[in-house]
Amino acid sequence: MSEKEFEPVIVGFFCNWCTSAAADLAGTSRLHYPASIRPIRVMCSSTVDPVYLIRALQEGADATILGGCHPGDCHYITGNYKARRRVAIVKTVLKSLGFEDDRVLLEWISGSEGPKFARVMNEYTEYIKKKGEADFKYLDSLGGE
Amino acid sequence: MSNDMLKKFIVDAFEKGLIEAVMAPAATKDSYTYALITKKEDVDKITPIAPVMQWNGADMLRRITKLKKSERKLLAILRPCESRTYKELVKFNQINPENIIVLSYDCPGTIHARNFKYEPVEPENLVEEIKNGGKSEKIRDACKVCEYPAPIPGVGDIGLGLVNTDPVFFSLSDKGKEFLGAMGITEGERDADAWVEEHRKRREEWMEKERITGGRKGIEEFLSSCLNCHNCKDMCPICFCKECFFEDHNVFDYESNKFYNWADDKDGIRLPTDRSLFHIGRLIHMGTSCIGCGLCQQACPMDIPLYRLFGIVGNDLQKVFNYKPGVDDNLPPVMEFREDELHEFEGLLGGEE
Repeated sequence: MSEKEFEPVIVGFFCNWCTSAAADLAGTSRLHYPASIRPIRVMCSSTVDPVYLIRALQEGADATILGGCHPGDCHYITGNYKARRRVAIVKTVLKSLGFEDDRVLLEWISGSEGPKFARVMNEYTEYIKKKGEADFKYLDSLGGE
Repeated sequence: MSNDMLKKFIVDAFEKGLIEAVMAPAATKDSYTYALITKKEDVDKITPIAPVMQWNGADMLRRITKLKKSERKLLAILRPCESRTYKELVKFNQINPENIIVLSYDCPGTIHARNFKYEPVEPENLVEEIKNGGKSEKIRDACKVCEYPAPIPGVGDIGLGLVNTDPVFFSLSDKGKEFLGAMGITEGERDADAWVEEHRKRREEWMEKERITGGRKGIEEFLSSCLNCHNCKDMCPICFCKECFFEDHNVFDYESNKFYNWADDKDGIRLPTDRSLFHIGRLIHMGTSCIGCGLCQQACPMDIPLYRLFGIVGNDLQKVFNYKPGVDDNLPPVMEFREDELHEFEGLLGGEE
């Protein structure tokens, strides 16, 4: 039996006004992006408590993406600036404890950037594929090496 | 001695009508709690400089002013870490600073409350040890590596110098200056720089040596005896939320199948679930404002040296935002933002294209 290729699971929290619209646009433009992305539509990138990013990793995701509007374009004026601070906190905590902080990605993708959406998803999936499985999944379990 | 002197100061202030109430530690059978007194006759019941910090004094002030500002002029005697907590909680709109005067002093450190219970120490003993710029070996880990053992200008109102000198008062704010003036006390000076520097040097060494690394294995081993009792959260003065993400919340309630699926996926899970997630989540929520009082560690029934986790990771977080909790005048990082910042955290390689 040939070895199955590693297919990462990437959970994306996409804001309703920009990145989710970009995902739609990428779809209607028939641009290809990998099926490893599991999008979750949220009203704003700032509504995602950073603990949910960690939670997704612990539930077995290999990476998480938080997608929001470009700085200055937030539908709620300042949501994405707050999201950026939160992601900075999560990444610093992960790095400080010796986890891989590049398993959390923050991207600004506006509603008209369907091609950028597809490109980012392709690139990040490739990147995570190369990195391999996350061992964060085994936090507080008996498994893992 | 320094305690007697402070008591005299308090009686004087009562007599001059500058204060109407005092919050300071008072001895109990085995420990020290905070006490609130409103009459000068009660002054003998308190011990302003106590060898134990069972609670954070700023947390007590938060309880007093929770519903309404302080209706009487209150003098609060706080350690430097508590006065920094006070300042941080004022910024978080948890304490109304109106009518409150904070006095803080060169802190000799405090003894772990449990150790004190079995090996009591006279309050003056610790003060004696810092008279010549030293420190006691009995004090808590967090106190040994304290970054700000001396009162800081701009934090609190009145300072009391004990290092390398007979006790001297000095003002930390305009309010304090006015107060000392009305008391008829001339401000003194003392040289505590070398003493503070020593603490900071120990802190640097400690941070290098005691850092928790190794990702999953590292944190799991560190927390391996955690009871999930959440005492560290209850004692943390920064964890003031009425509704905690990790409690009274059905985020962590699942059907049985969810547990079985986890066990399938992860080759067996530990119960109760989410012990490490609780600590990582708490770091994310309060780490940027961690004062470093070390009460999380004192509260741990399993003696996990939690200050190694919160102190060091908190320090890393504060470096990212260039923020010193309780010292800086700007708002805590979780309360504000700038438009042009933190680009290294955007995108895969940092920086927007």
